[in-house]
Amino acid sequence: MPVISVENLRKRYGEHVAVDGVSFAVEKGEILGILGRNGAGKTTTVECLAGLRRPDSGQVRVMGLDPWRDRVKVRQVLGSQLQEGALPGKVRVGEAVKLYRSFYRTGADPDRLLADLGLHDKRRAFYDDLSGGQQQRLSIALALVGRPRIAILDELTTGLDPAARRETWQLIDRIRRGGVTIVLVTHVMEEAERLCDRIAVLDRGQIVALDTPEGLIARAQGEQEVRVRTQGAVDQAALNGLPEVTGLRIDGEHVVIRGRGNLLHTVTRALLSQDVVVTDARVRQVTLDDAFLTLTGRSLDEAPGGHFPGDPYEDSRTDLEASR
Amino acid sequence: MTSTTSVPIASDRPGLAAWGQLILHELRMVVRDTGGLVIPLGLPTLLMVMSGLAGGTERIPELGGVSAMNAFVIPSTLTMMVALIGIVNMPSFLASYRTTGVLRRLAVTPAAPSMVLVAQVVVSLIQTIVGTALALVIGASALGVVAPGNLAGTALAMVLTVAAMYALGMLIAAVAPTANSSVAIGLVTFFATMALGGGLGGRDNLPGVLATIGEYVPYGSAVEALSAGWQGNAPNLAHLAALAICTVLASGIAAKVFRWE
Repeated sequence: MPVISVENLRKRYGEHVAVDGVSFAVEKGEILGILGRNGAGKTTTVECLAGLRRPDSGQVRVMGLDPWRDRVKVRQVLGSQLQEGALPGKVRVGEAVKLYRSFYRTGADPDRLLADLGLHDKRRAFYDDLSGGQQQRLSIALALVGRPRIAILDELTTGLDPAARRETWQLIDRIRRGGVTIVLVTHVMEEAERLCDRIAVLDRGQIVALDTPEGLIARAQGEQEVRVRTQGAVDQAALNGLPEVTGLRIDGEHVVIRGRGNLLHTVTRALLSQDVVVTDARVRQVTLDDAFLTLTGRSLDEAPGGHFPGDPYEDSRTDLEASR
Repeated sequence: MTSTTSVPIASDRPGLAAWGQLILHELRMVVRDTGGLVIPLGLPTLLMVMSGLAGGTERIPELGGVSAMNAFVIPSTLTMMVALIGIVNMPSFLASYRTTGVLRRLAVTPAAPSMVLVAQVVVSLIQTIVGTALALVIGASALGVVAPGNLAGTALAMVLTVAAMYALGMLIAAVAPTANSSVAIGLVTFFATMALGGGLGGRDNLPGVLATIGEYVPYGSAVEALSAGWQGNAPNLAHLAALAICTVLASGIAAKVFRWE
């Protein structure tokens, strides 16, 4: 029996439909990622799990309980670290953990918990004096202090530097090994790929895919791209006629070819036969980003030109000039 | 809620230990906020000492030999203390708890965010008791302050004063969007009720209508009721009623409109 089950969950705020018929289940000990852009309905979904919001319709069960009706009971077994939750600036770390420990019937030893989270030497520090990463770890500590069987962690690495982010990921690994089921809300692809057993991709209030990270990537295999810069005109029709090629577009000085199979080899051979000099060519590895793009039609990064988040070509840059 | 509501077993809700921790926590927050700790106690006490040194200790024959210190200064001092704590200090904590997400953080635990409100009220009461004791001890040891002539009447007036001021504070905490705006609204409310109530140079100097209004704003009613009690009379029912009505209205509206996030 799943620890969490959600069936056809709907929630609207006035005219805005935040969650539009979401269904999923989370098994014991699993890390389920909820991935999506801002405003996709992730936070509303987990707020319904935590009993903070009452669903308009649909059924939510946490350990067999209705989180809205039985919210006090549910919160004894479900710890949440939600966005925009904070502590007063003048509370000391150790005091906060002790205070939150007192809310639960059973719970972790505050000192040991702080040691586990690397905050032991900060236990006399004020909340205001902690770094962002330390505040985030304290927030996780407060979510875990009641020894929950389920933890909801919402955007827990937002605003952290890469080192703090990696530390937090190691921490999540440790929590899972302790047998805690985790629902991880994120819009960081790398985070989802690294930590999650399964990922629910949420777009405009609906789940567009629910699969393992590998499964999601596999769905996007057809969407490989080769990006070339050439001297001389490219015979676009000839390229488009190749069986491996599914699409082609011009992006400034570059030609971007989409397709399957050994695309780079196919494209370079075709261009050679056209006597076109290739000055630069890059293959983009298929990532979860591509899967997201394929599934939702939009990139996860909202930055302009987000079609190529970061520079995924960097690693697979090939010097074709040399190979000629 | 229309459907059947299951009643959680008692142990699902946080117990006495949690209440103790929460009150201790709020106490720390108030004590560590130096300005909020010192000003509501220090300022009225200082004004009291200055009034006492300026001749307030002389007995006034028209008041049956009660000194101005006992008849007016102590009632004004205690009223100002309660008003500063209830209207300015307490709401600033509660508003900041909402804007910074403290209430939201609590809302996902078995503790209800309302528990922190109750704890803050308890701590504000402790602060009021400490302040009252401070003013009375200084007054009694150096400025001829004596016990109220009508102890029961004075106690009732004090309880209603605290209730009315704290209810006003709850209303401010309920509507103020941020901690800063709650201090601004609190101070304006405090000075308005104090000016009307005669805290700035006597109601007799106000135009007729304002003086009448001032008698029944919380500050004015509180001073009148405490003053009557200290002089050994029964507080005027109209003043007690004004405080009670303010309490019911302000806390009722606050409960209706309180924004938890």
